[in-house]
Amino acid sequence: MTDDASVLQAAWMSSPPTSGDQRRTTVDLILERDRASRLRERRQQIGAVIVMLLLVPVLVWAAVYGISPLVRTAYALMTVGCVAGVAAQWFFLDGSRRALPGPSDTRSQLRNSAFMLECQGWLARTAALWSAPVFVGVLLIGLWLYRERSAAEAVALFALDVGVWIATGIFVGRAGSVLARRRRQLEDALSDLDARDSA
Amino acid sequence: MHTEHDRVTRFAALMADYERPMRRLCSAYADRAADRDDLFQEIFLAVWRALPAFRGEASERTWLYRIAHNVALTWQARQRRREARESPLTEQSGVAAEVDVRALELQRAVARMRPGDRTLVLLWLEGLSAAEIEDVTGIKAATVAVRLSRIRKSLRPNEVMP
Repeated sequence: MTDDASVLQAAWMSSPPTSGDQRRTTVDLILERDRASRLRERRQQIGAVIVMLLLVPVLVWAAVYGISPLVRTAYALMTVGCVAGVAAQWFFLDGSRRALPGPSDTRSQLRNSAFMLECQGWLARTAALWSAPVFVGVLLIGLWLYRERSAAEAVALFALDVGVWIATGIFVGRAGSVLARRRRQLEDALSDLDARDSA
Repeated sequence: MHTEHDRVTRFAALMADYERPMRRLCSAYADRAADRDDLFQEIFLAVWRALPAFRGEASERTWLYRIAHNVALTWQARQRRREARESPLTEQSGVAAEVDVRALELQRAVARMRPGDRTLVLLWLEGLSAAEIEDVTGIKAATVAVRLSRIRKSLRPNEVMP
């Protein structure tokens, strides 16, 4: 090996050619990946629209016409929680879209992607907090059950609610840790790229 | 870019023109053949998505290298853990006769570099000028020249083949 520019460049470029058939297959695969990812995104958007159009009106109705102030408060909290969840999902998807690598220069791209990952990571780490209105609302329904029906039903609902709340916090929090690790790697690459050379 | 058909035609032409440089770039970022294919597809997926907005203000080559390096660095950050590096010489034994051994040594040396150095040296090995590298990376051409001079010294025999 040598540091002679032309020798190094010639050695580097001596890769074997690929066939036209292989290339056509790759083009098809890429177009299929694009279609699949757009379909996945559309499904997530449809899910959010369904929640907004079907679930939220029902919750609002229950918050207005519930049988007691406790129940009305519970449904009002669940409405707020559902809207917060849809908004969080929208911000998360928007962040993923904006973090996609594009034709910006590498430093700008790394800076932008790291920032978007930081926002997404924060959203994931605080999932237990912004989803709290839903779970607190369900706890209030449990309290109403305890007062009006039976302790067993109330305890079952409490246990289920707290279990799902904790699981949400852990599961989404873990996703936040993965995003934080990716952000650190991008920041490392950026600082490495920015490093000035005194040699 | 008027129709979907024009877009597909333009995309296929870009792939034909840049397939080999992009495969070489992938070999510097991914050890396993399946990962290299995955990265290659991700690069051209990003090219496909960016194509409608490309109006030709920048040169096609620097535009494509920007996307490729941005995808490669992001792709690498997404890998859960770096698995033990497989030897490209072993894995590519089927095509060893066709591939220059020096190219494989160089590939290994480049793959071991830090991300910043690797980005610069890959662009230089593909024949981009310091000004073009500045356009791709956002690092000043003078800084690029100084860093490349240092990196090239590290590609001497005792460094490349420990």
